[in-house]
Amino acid sequence: MADVVLKNVQKSFGRAKVIHGVDLDIRDGEFVVFVGPSGCGKSTLLRLIAGLEDITAGDLFIGGERVNDLVPAKRGIAMVFQSYALYPHMNVYDNMAFGLELAKSSKQEIDRKVREAARLLQIEQLLDRKPRQLSGGQRQRVAIGRAIVRDPKVFLFDEPLSNLDAALRVQTRIEIAKLHNDTRATMIYVTHDQVEAMTLADRIVVLNAGRIEQVGTPLELYHRPANLFVAGFIGSPQMNFLECQVAGVGPGEVLVSLPGGGSLSVPVEPDGVQAGDAVTLGIRPDHVRIGPEGALTGRVELVEELGENHLLYVDAGQGRRLTVREPGDARHEAGSSVSLDLARDFCHLFRHTGEALRPQADATTPTSPNLTSSAA
Amino acid sequence: MTSAVAQADAPVLQQARGRRSSLTRSRLRSAWLFIAPSLIILALIAGWPLARTIWFSFTDADLNNLSDYEFIGFENYLASYDGEWLGLLTDPDWWQSVWNTVWFTLVSVSIETVLGIVVALILNAAFPGRGLMRAIILIPWAIPTIVSAKMWNWMLHDQFGVINDMLLRVGLIAAPVTWTANADTALWAAVAVDVWKHTSFMALLILAALQMLPQDIYEAAKVDGVSPTRVFFRITLPLIKPALLVAVIFRSLDALRVFDLIYVLTSNSRDTASMSIYARQQLVDFQEVGLGSAASTLIFLIIALIVVITLAAGRVRLGEDPR
Repeated sequence: MADVVLKNVQKSFGRAKVIHGVDLDIRDGEFVVFVGPSGCGKSTLLRLIAGLEDITAGDLFIGGERVNDLVPAKRGIAMVFQSYALYPHMNVYDNMAFGLELAKSSKQEIDRKVREAARLLQIEQLLDRKPRQLSGGQRQRVAIGRAIVRDPKVFLFDEPLSNLDAALRVQTRIEIAKLHNDTRATMIYVTHDQVEAMTLADRIVVLNAGRIEQVGTPLELYHRPANLFVAGFIGSPQMNFLECQVAGVGPGEVLVSLPGGGSLSVPVEPDGVQAGDAVTLGIRPDHVRIGPEGALTGRVELVEELGENHLLYVDAGQGRRLTVREPGDARHEAGSSVSLDLARDFCHLFRHTGEALRPQADATTPTSPNLTSSAA
Repeated sequence: MTSAVAQADAPVLQQARGRRSSLTRSRLRSAWLFIAPSLIILALIAGWPLARTIWFSFTDADLNNLSDYEFIGFENYLASYDGEWLGLLTDPDWWQSVWNTVWFTLVSVSIETVLGIVVALILNAAFPGRGLMRAIILIPWAIPTIVSAKMWNWMLHDQFGVINDMLLRVGLIAAPVTWTANADTALWAAVAVDVWKHTSFMALLILAALQMLPQDIYEAAKVDGVSPTRVFFRITLPLIKPALLVAVIFRSLDALRVFDLIYVLTSNSRDTASMSIYARQQLVDFQEVGLGSAASTLIFLIIALIVVITLAAGRVRLGEDPR
């Protein structure tokens, strides 16, 4: 068990700088997920922690010890690779035991550890098989088993579920969560899948172009994104963004004029924003309601039925598209005109620099609006 | 899951086996049509000469008049006249040539395999000029054997050779050595030239295998803390073994029918003659087509036997292999 501390960690490949000074404090036993679009440096950051890449500048501490110059094997980590990285010529048992043979453990000790991990992952009946005789899910379990037997202080997962099909992904995700509950080991997990990030993480680190955009619990990131990037990245379907102008400011509220002519008072701290400034209004698809007299009007372009809810893609004029998620079956057809009501308590405002304005009463997290009442 | 699928498929398969559909029949027809030309050419250029050689080995044919011969059974191989055993199998020169060939093959292919792995591992590492290096090491292999044998013959010359000159200057030898004429060194000289020529070929085949290996398992081994030597013997070597075996068989087949290298390098000496040199001598120099054919037939059998043994040995060890 150990904490992982990154201090101004940087990485360059030749002249290309891919990690620009990352500061991060991962607590002992914490499950931290790195998310970001592809090429954001999340995998590189994990490989820096693993020791598979050299750190160009900055310091990395695992369990209080500076490990910049230690080889991967000495860092007390275990890694699960996206491609499983099982030794193809060894059976499942040997795949898990191979790393232990080097640690000079006794035969009985190795055997006990391998069987214990196999029992935990329910792969006992597969111990004699070769990797090629296993399904993708079974291979991933063996890869996880190989990490478990090392008894590491820190588990590193590099997109471990992306090669699995959807059903297996959910199942394995639950098993990884269980593993974390059972072992209470520090875990760092890289994914581009925000559902994995939201469900598994104690804290999520959102990365973009080699920089940390925001660190926080899943709900913090969802309800209070620090900037436009995080707001757009977390949540599916994506948050709606509308370019607006500030019409006026008051204490704890900013009045914006909406594209269609209407206006809306958003409960955020103005914090220097003045009338006439360009801002971006953000609102999640769940918080836009089709109402009799909304602030915006538009034409439904497309309807997507998802069963438990449905999505309406609405053209609000001048190329502005809004996504609306409503419960149950769709009651509007493509082509019909609707008026949209924006729930002001759930609106986010971003300065033109992308930075979010702090919500008015910062202490409370807004709860989801009552879906049934607005639908009725 | 898989067994359930297999069970479901079983009746379909049975049906297919009992009565071929017209589609299957037409597919079979085109398959035969496509492979027929190669089969005919193979039969003409490989099957027919082989059959003819085997047939001649049972006759007393002479190179002067190939149409006039008699069937004499196994007399070319082994025959008894007045209690004295004669024939190929009793000829010490034949057995000397067999031993020379097998020794030459074992030693040169072993050295080439080890050096080939070393060179391949070096070329597999990333360093500037790697592409150029890969091309350069192939040069010895691209030079015709006759040319390289002649070249080495001069380099190894006892009086004018550059090898003796260098060794004398360094002081490793006191007097010039007759490398290619001395029975003790001649076969070693042949091995040295063969290694010089064929190591790059071996290296190239092994390099191809190395580049097929997944890189992620090496990272996993790094995290596991496996030492480089152990990585090589426990991971790399088992994974390239199938390709290595193919390379060894290729080279062995080549080395077992060695002719030009030894013929040019050691001037047709009896001490260094290979099986092919022996057969050529019987056929051409002594004009004994029957005996020469018998020798050729035995070469064919010996090579076939060695390949079967190598494959069988390889398969037993490959039992633990992934592929």
